[in-house]
Amino acid sequence: MAAAGLLGAVATLASRRLLCAPPGAARGRAAVLGPARRFGASARAWRSSEDKVTVHFINRDGDKLTAEGKIGDSLLDVVVDSNLDIDGFGACEGTLACSTCHLIFEDQIFKKLDAVTDEEMDMLDLAYGLTETSRLGCQICLKKFMNNMTVRVPEAVADVRQSIDMSKNS
Amino acid sequence: MPQAVKLAGRASLLARCLSELGQAPAQAIEAPKTLAQAIEAPKTLAQMPGPGALSFFYDLFCRRGLSRLHELQMEGKAKYGPVWKASFGPILTVHVADPGLIEQVLRQEGKHPVRSDLSSWKDYRESRGHAYGLLTAEGEEWQKTRSILAKHMLKPKEVESYAGALNSVVGDLVRRLELRRQRHERHVVTDVAGEFYKFGLEGISSVLFDSRIGCLEAEVPEETETFIRSINTMFVMTLLTMAMPKALHRLFPKPWKTFCEAWDYMFAFAKKHIDRRLAEVAVQVARGQPVEGKFLTYYLAKEQLSMKEIYGNVTELLLAGIDTISSTLSWSLYELARHPEVQAAVHAEISAAVQDGAIPSASDVARMPLLKAVVKEALRLYPVIPGNARVIPDRDIQVGEYIIPKKTLITLCHYATSRDERFFPEPNAFRPERWLQRDAARHPYASLPFGFGKRSCVGRRIAELEVHLALAQILTHFDVRPEPADCPVKPMTRTLLVPEKDINLQFLSR
Repeated sequence: MAAAGLLGAVATLASRRLLCAPPGAARGRAAVLGPARRFGASARAWRSSEDKVTVHFINRDGDKLTAEGKIGDSLLDVVVDSNLDIDGFGACEGTLACSTCHLIFEDQIFKKLDAVTDEEMDMLDLAYGLTETSRLGCQICLKKFMNNMTVRVPEAVADVRQSIDMSKNS
Repeated sequence: MPQAVKLAGRASLLARCLSELGQAPAQAIEAPKTLAQAIEAPKTLAQMPGPGALSFFYDLFCRRGLSRLHELQMEGKAKYGPVWKASFGPILTVHVADPGLIEQVLRQEGKHPVRSDLSSWKDYRESRGHAYGLLTAEGEEWQKTRSILAKHMLKPKEVESYAGALNSVVGDLVRRLELRRQRHERHVVTDVAGEFYKFGLEGISSVLFDSRIGCLEAEVPEETETFIRSINTMFVMTLLTMAMPKALHRLFPKPWKTFCEAWDYMFAFAKKHIDRRLAEVAVQVARGQPVEGKFLTYYLAKEQLSMKEIYGNVTELLLAGIDTISSTLSWSLYELARHPEVQAAVHAEISAAVQDGAIPSASDVARMPLLKAVVKEALRLYPVIPGNARVIPDRDIQVGEYIIPKKTLITLCHYATSRDERFFPEPNAFRPERWLQRDAARHPYASLPFGFGKRSCVGRRIAELEVHLALAQILTHFDVRPEPADCPVKPMTRTLLVPEKDINLQFLSR
């Protein structure tokens, strides 16, 4: 009896849905977007290529960073290969040991992403500023439909407390 | 499963955001006030509560405190609140026993996180001229090795490639359990942890050397037993040698001497197996044969680490893969034996996920959420590392309402948070189903058995796979019952958290 109950609990996992608002949802980031950074020379040369995908990153300061990657590259690869200046991004080098490559996706893109694994879920749970369309950049590999998508880097961890610290110790 | 559904149910998020302010969710409503106070007047170490040096020394050495360190976490938290200081022998350490505050520490750990400055492990290596391994190295040296090992040990695809080797070890474990149970008239296997130590050593050896060393044979090689005994001795002596002020070492030289001898044996054991295996590889390469199989030592050699560095790292990886696996398996089976309804449900889940007669594979395990929940729950109740540590070497950080000066040893009280009823109702009860529901009250940093971030357990994914595969096969073959039925076993601290006495289980054929 109890055994059946436990298995039932597994099944109902699939139908549970508790809602919570993503932090920063009401912040209207679009209004404060900075100008796009210039593309690197190599990025420009690749633009027309068939297997390239362009991705826009909205950085924490609202800056829009644009980069290209090959189909199959992870978003972490894109950030690293293009030298995008996102502080602390990908600390564990894509080994699913942290959540610093946490990115927030647009709804329509998020729905089309490959299913999340338990391992990624465990790490996402520990991410700062989690939303309903959050994923880890190291686990998302570029596909054609992602061309020109925009992903948002969540708020920085540093808060009032830490900024006092920084000023004290710098 | 559609990810939208999996990602849904993040009610814990709101609680998290509030607890960011340094308060537990229960007191979250007061958080802004606390934050304001924190901005006005962060408190200093001098204002932090805690036992006097003498009374803590008395607790440690006269009240069996070293083996009850996990219980002292609970006592400290009840007495002083979520942050307190205590002198562990010559070292002052700040205890942090709230998940929100543990999160704050880990988020400020910096580029090259430091676990602890005081390690007697480092002293031993210095005295013998050995290289540091991943557990003991710091800074750039640590980062170099971590990058290499993590690439081969943590990436899901890489981890899966060890499944074949691990399953072959699991097969031997099942045969050995069968042998042991047949030797007893009521099919009791005494001291299951002892069997799982050998399993752990055989498993990590297969990962490191892609060869078997015979720990699970009917006749266990003497060196295996000695190696396992050396690890146990070393862990007992670790806490003792760290808690003893240096001056006392001269008066009582035995603990340090015993500690060093245990390490000497482990380094020699590792060196012997590394040399043997790399010599075999050298012969293959000389003959122009391809080097087959996947084994970590070979990758390390190919990454241009020096032999000294390989010895240092492989020794540490060997010892790190044994107690951890043994304790987790022992406690999981101990609790499953005492909860037959859960065991029946897990058995049903395994049977449904695996084709008749097949050996469970890594991808089968992905369809066993309850089995995974059992392991999570065992690690919540009995975290192998009951208290982890961090040192922020270069700057003061604020944690809650306190400024913690740089270089202070910060003890993260994982045992206390993972048995905190605010986050886990009925905290001392084995209820794996709690992990199958998204619980708004649960703080994700409340149970962190593998740590979190770039200095978290590098063997985590291999260990999880190893434990899942072992449990899946054991439960396929046996119905496990407690023996005797009403004899609870408590955990004790031996640097790691281990069973206080033998766990005996009855293995009935299914």
